[in-house]
Amino acid sequence: MEPELTGIVIVVGAYGSGKTEVSINLAAHMHSLGTAVRLADLDLVNPYFRTRDARNTLEHLGIEVILPPASYMYADLPILTPKVSGLLRNPAGLALLDVGGDDVGATVLAALADSLKGKQVEVLMVVNPNRPHTDTIKGCLKMRNEIEDKAKLSITGIVGNANVMAETTTKDILEGYDFCRKVAGNGKLPLVFITATTELLTRLDKKAIQCPILSIRRQLTTPWEEAEPLGR
Amino acid sequence: MPKVLMKGNEAIGEAAIRAGCLNYFAYPITPQSEVAEYLVRRMPEVGGVFLQGESEVAVGYMLFGAAGAGARVFTTSSSPGISLMSEAISYIAGAQCPAVFVNIVRGGPGLGGILPSQGDYFQATKGIGHGDCRMLVMAPASVQEAVEMVMKAFPLAEKYRNPVMVLGDGLIGQMMEPVEFPDHLKSEPTNKDAWSTNGMDHRNSKKRNIVKSLFLDPALLNDNNLQLKAKYDQMRSDEVMFEAYNTDSEYKGLVVSFGTMSRVCRTAIDLMKADGIEIAMIRPKTLFPFPEKAVADASKKPTCTHIISVEMNMGQMVEDVDLSVKGHLPVSWYGKCGGEIPTPEEIIDVVKSRIA
Repeated sequence: MEPELTGIVIVVGAYGSGKTEVSINLAAHMHSLGTAVRLADLDLVNPYFRTRDARNTLEHLGIEVILPPASYMYADLPILTPKVSGLLRNPAGLALLDVGGDDVGATVLAALADSLKGKQVEVLMVVNPNRPHTDTIKGCLKMRNEIEDKAKLSITGIVGNANVMAETTTKDILEGYDFCRKVAGNGKLPLVFITATTELLTRLDKKAIQCPILSIRRQLTTPWEEAEPLGR
Repeated sequence: MPKVLMKGNEAIGEAAIRAGCLNYFAYPITPQSEVAEYLVRRMPEVGGVFLQGESEVAVGYMLFGAAGAGARVFTTSSSPGISLMSEAISYIAGAQCPAVFVNIVRGGPGLGGILPSQGDYFQATKGIGHGDCRMLVMAPASVQEAVEMVMKAFPLAEKYRNPVMVLGDGLIGQMMEPVEFPDHLKSEPTNKDAWSTNGMDHRNSKKRNIVKSLFLDPALLNDNNLQLKAKYDQMRSDEVMFEAYNTDSEYKGLVVSFGTMSRVCRTAIDLMKADGIEIAMIRPKTLFPFPEKAVADASKKPTCTHIISVEMNMGQMVEDVDLSVKGHLPVSWYGKCGGEIPTPEEIIDVVKSRIA
């Protein structure tokens, strides 16, 4: 079972939880199902490994990527392009917003409050239990409160993204699934989907998992690694 | 402790805590600000201190003060910030106090850019401060190695009573990799009675310590700098670290590369090996002291025809490679800067054309 999401979907989460990798792969997945997808890079806090780094791959697939103006692409400045409000006014298909990490990164959402008023919005919090600060349920719920407080939005679901990059095992995925289910249960939120790399998915006992799984092809790689081809 | 997924900057912060350093003073600058963001949460949990200075100039002297008082202390910054600290680094070296500096290098000169670079090689190894001062410089190639080097930096700084730097290109700070942390070290320098000015009450030695770098009497300054030189000579004989890759093969060319650049080179070397072309690599893990002997020895392989220094700058380490090889084989440089990073394919093309 794979996730199916349309409308306005905002991806938030702790710093380094994997929001961008999840957003890129979710965009490609929904696009492959025939949904028109637009992806906005709202990461104003992270200087490297941003959606803009996968821009060419996404645009090649036919996914529109909304970014700050080209001349500011490599600046560490909080630039919010007006195109984002346009996207929110007319969210046909899937309008995906990839937000920066922690409460600091989510602050940008408060600036979009007017554009979001009265809209149906999914706000998904990505959780990687292998990261500092979100390795306990208490830590995840604290992160949720901090993000909601700054974003002036309620989180509506959890995305489980348990991984330690290339060293991830199927055991990590299953333990991460259990952990994220508990986070969701404690926070009275649905576990919307979890993730696993395409390679791990072939070996994973999927019967043990009661929620959709998004397969991940890593795009945000180092210069000595190759990204997996996106799209199918 | 199980492996956790950490950004280099976060791991560097945690490594300092594990090394028993509870004093962190810094000023934010991309691409290393996450160290401060991490430690502002973590330091209170372990009873430590994070204080943001009003500038990097102030931060440098905050380190000098803490070091003079016998505390383990460190800072992190990026290129322009390190330039501002260089006056204090020279004072700390002159006064023979220990302190740890981490430079997560961005592109330069000037404000440059925020993407990864190795453009501070000269600054770190040869021009870190005025006067006859040098510092021990380690360059990690992975997040795990950054942890190990930061933890090693404190005892080394105390052993030599001299500043020690961990020099990571921006990628080291920004990329995420699984890491493991060793146990805590002792939190206090064991030899601090030799220099610290924290009162005579708890001290075994009756010697009065004065923390200063001013020696108006030429004989005394000469004497002080002879002491410094002796330490730098000892670093050269005792602290050299490097990694040799594929040096057992009958290689036609030798690559010298450090930091994350060496990982791109390793990929290129593996690809060429699969193609039947043997290339070896020396990866300096200490930039000062430079592994001169390792490079010289590797260059003497009878099959080797050319040595290439691959760097994320316009050719800096290549001068040390040249000094090591002493002219018996051609030495050249290849690199890019500004955040442009040579790809494995580009390196393969360059290596093939030069060994031919």
